[in-house]
Amino acid sequence: MSLAARHLEAHGIPTVIMGCAKDIVEHCGVPRLLFSDFPLGNSAGRPFDVESQALTLELALRLLESAPAARTTVQSPIRWSSDPSWKRDYLDLTTLSPETLAERRREFDEVKAVARTRRAESS
Amino acid sequence: MSTAKPGAAAGPAPVDDVPIPYMQRTRDYYVALGYDDPYRWAHFVEVPFTPLRVPLRQARLGFVTTAAPYRPGAGDQGPGAPYNAAAKFYQLYSASTASAPELFISHVGYDRRHTSAADPNAYFPLRQLRDAVAAGRVGGLASRFHGLPTNRSHRTTLEADVPELLRRCQEDGVEAALLVPS
Repeated sequence: MSLAARHLEAHGIPTVIMGCAKDIVEHCGVPRLLFSDFPLGNSAGRPFDVESQALTLELALRLLESAPAARTTVQSPIRWSSDPSWKRDYLDLTTLSPETLAERRREFDEVKAVARTRRAESS
Repeated sequence: MSTAKPGAAAGPAPVDDVPIPYMQRTRDYYVALGYDDPYRWAHFVEVPFTPLRVPLRQARLGFVTTAAPYRPGAGDQGPGAPYNAAAKFYQLYSASTASAPELFISHVGYDRRHTSAADPNAYFPLRQLRDAVAAGRVGGLASRFHGLPTNRSHRTTLEADVPELLRRCQEDGVEAALLVPS
């Protein structure tokens, strides 16, 4: 999605990304990012929280209007939880046994094979 | 909605209460799984910038998602579904913003432990966009939104998907675009 923002912007269409993976988007380098410090999958606001979703869009729109230069990131003030411990869990290696890692590898290889088949069907 | 409590700004936060370093976590994870050629995320020094030229209340806004339409026969794609590569799509798609299909994100690596993708408005903000148009905050939405494939090589994205996305956005006459990865 970052590559899309860059391409549109380079051809005269201003863009704003709403996202939860701050490091990945900023590493690519985009014009504007509205960052929500939420679990991946909630770029547009907290689930079933209309107020949060409206504020998330409003912040993105203000960013679109007012960013002074490229690489402007605004972080939403909304907290996912007052307890930040959820952030430790994503791909947390400390809790995985060698057997679990081997199982995950087997699953990942299966998923890749499925994706390859889908890609071949689509091309 | 949980925002900072009054007075909360005065105290320092725990040292690990920072945005998740996804690139490092992902690298470490796949090395631990035994893969020795870690994914390289796209990275540029130069970043293009185009200021918004018209007031937003008069602007036509484009909308791009990575969510996927339901794919019959491809297994569980709903809330909480396990990662489902069969639900992926590999061509840019476009659909009406007036009557959008149900969209799902079982085909991407969202945080399945802490969220369940049960509310599409959390990753596909069409309702919010319609509200913003109704309130006069945004001039209008393009008649269609666009779905961008994920899990592509940078080369395919840059040479095929993104030029086609630009072409469609130009055809739609959008003056700005909101991009929402899932």
